[in-house]
Amino acid sequence: MAKMIKIETLSKNYGQFTAADGIDFNVNAGEIFGLLGPNGAGKSTTINCISGLLKPTLGEIYINGFSVLSQALQAKSSLGLVPQDLALYEDLSALENLNFWGQAYGLTGEPLKQRIQTVLQQVGLDSRAKDTVSTYSGGMKRRLNFACAILHEPKALLLDEPTVGVDPQSREHLLAAVEALKAQGTAVLYTTHYMEEAERLCDRLAIIDHGKIIATGTVDELRSQMGEKDLITLQGEFSGVDKSLIADYELIEWQDHNVRFMAENAAAQLTEILSRFKPGQVKQTAVQQANLESLFIKLTGRELRD
Amino acid sequence: MKILGMPITVAGLRIKRVLREKWGLISWLAIPVIIVFLMSLLAGTGSGKLTGKLLITDQDDSTVSRFLAGGFNQGPLAEIFTLKAVSSAEGQALMDAGEASAWITIEAGFGDAFLDNQPTQLKLVKNPAQSILPPMVETSMKLLVDAATYIQIVFAKELAVLKPMLKERKFNDADLVVLTLGIKQQIERLEATILPPQLELIKHQVAEAKSAAEQPDITFGLIMFPGAIFMALIFSANSLAVLIWDDAQNGIIPRLSSTPSALGAYFNGQVIGATSVFTLIALLLGVLGGWYFSIPWSKLPLMMVWLVFSGLVIYQLFVALAMVMPSAKVANVVVNATTFPLLMVGGSFFPMETMPDWLAAIGQYLPNGFLLKGLKDWLVRDDAIFVAMGLPLLLGLAMLVVFWMLNRYLVKQLIHKV
Repeated sequence: MAKMIKIETLSKNYGQFTAADGIDFNVNAGEIFGLLGPNGAGKSTTINCISGLLKPTLGEIYINGFSVLSQALQAKSSLGLVPQDLALYEDLSALENLNFWGQAYGLTGEPLKQRIQTVLQQVGLDSRAKDTVSTYSGGMKRRLNFACAILHEPKALLLDEPTVGVDPQSREHLLAAVEALKAQGTAVLYTTHYMEEAERLCDRLAIIDHGKIIATGTVDELRSQMGEKDLITLQGEFSGVDKSLIADYELIEWQDHNVRFMAENAAAQLTEILSRFKPGQVKQTAVQQANLESLFIKLTGRELRD
Repeated sequence: MKILGMPITVAGLRIKRVLREKWGLISWLAIPVIIVFLMSLLAGTGSGKLTGKLLITDQDDSTVSRFLAGGFNQGPLAEIFTLKAVSSAEGQALMDAGEASAWITIEAGFGDAFLDNQPTQLKLVKNPAQSILPPMVETSMKLLVDAATYIQIVFAKELAVLKPMLKERKFNDADLVVLTLGIKQQIERLEATILPPQLELIKHQVAEAKSAAEQPDITFGLIMFPGAIFMALIFSANSLAVLIWDDAQNGIIPRLSSTPSALGAYFNGQVIGATSVFTLIALLLGVLGGWYFSIPWSKLPLMMVWLVFSGLVIYQLFVALAMVMPSAKVANVVVNATTFPLLMVGGSFFPMETMPDWLAAIGQYLPNGFLLKGLKDWLVRDDAIFVAMGLPLLLGLAMLVVFWMLNRYLVKQLIHKV
């Protein structure tokens, strides 16, 4: 399968700070690849390097076989970007915005007109095409933001948290549109906070933290890293408490007010586990079944939304 | 044509957005017009000349009284006042209606009293609603009365000869010769004492001396007019320059850098858009001012080209200044803080002709200052085109090229500031 996005040992430093550290992955045609990580993990830096906004300190990036660094024009012609923040002229209509972005991607004349009609239908904005963008809801603006990136039918599409702050109807429109693009053979790189989106859309995922990819695979492969274990989170007062109390479990994190560990069939064992602590020490308990969120916590000790 | 596609699209959007922001455009055009109008009022003259109506009731109807009335119909006073002979009743009615600046009544017996060296009087009624013209009439009358007094003293003998002639209205050649010679001798005698020549007149041939008819009719309004259009250009250049920051903050510029279109093409589009806005301003204000100040139509095309060129130079300067700044907020403050000194010292708010020499000298070295001076020297003072505009053109072109190249670089740096 053709590798539409190919990242080789991508690194980006800002002085002493490393935002991306030797990142490697590929996205194939007709594949949705998810990049998961909390804020500041390096997702946006990676996306910005791929889209040419930032120049990597090290490494190579190829889009449709063209180097972003040395064949920028060809690479960018094959690429669509849906930025995290809206990039629209709010005082113009959807039609005028699409016309502008279409021309930015080199489309003109009748092909541009046809593509504008197609994408407007695709994102469900055809009935509001002539309205000024400032009159749109947040979700509609997100849909238009998305539409602007797919006008030129890119072979590779970068979506940087496209559903942040979007209403359920607009979210559904967007997710359906992404799935349609995948079916058409577009390679999609998708970053998100939302596990359910990642699990629904992504064929493969990479979990990124502190600028490094710490796990990669299909959703099932990643889930299997958790085994049959659930994640137990206890909140309370644990300073001075002996960690050996839960020595028979896989400890993830032990802090003064927060303890996390893995246990098989956690619900059944919870009463026995709690009895090991003094009364009043545990104030709150949470059990999370094996999923990407719990995997992320297992791998990083942090929550995705941190 | 494809190379021009993106710049033209960007320019089209810019023009569309400027036209939709009607009040912004209106303020760019209206503020300078209002300021010129107010400044012209403050200066006392607009483009038109100050004129008034002066009524004269000559109850004496003598040669002397007609001579006096004729004094207001001579020289510069004739350009200001329209003289109207009226009866007492007409004069009173016109003054009551406020339709005249002043009313002079020459009472019966004035001529005889003057010739007899007897006291007499003139009556002046001033229009209290006017502040400039009536005092001018009063001052002129005082001068005439002073002159009459000196004539009575110096030419007493000649007036005695003249009196019977005027009364009888009979002039014989012998008496006229005696009178003329007497006046001539008296003037020659006085010349040696009260009119000694203080200056030696040295004649030089002045090249290309212009006749009075060829001299441009320079009014305060005309002096302010080019500066006012510059004011509109500077206001619009200020707003358009800072708008680039909006595009950066709204994600347009970062997103554009991920497309095959170069940011240089985007910036060229902004320049084309700004050029179109300056053309619109130059066209509207240029034609309006050209018509109002009676500027020859043949001069308007070059004037408009020069205005657009000047607008572009100032725009490029403001864009560079805005994009060098670390944020939109700072850019706004700095560009505004630059705009007002440029307007004040560069000859837009106050014509350089009215500034102290040292300030005008500074103003002439500001970008808008030397461009404005070049235009005014050609347009208002009628200097030769290359003398007036040659150096400003070269300096402006140099600035245009340097700032254009700098701005194409700076626009790419904006991505990292938002």
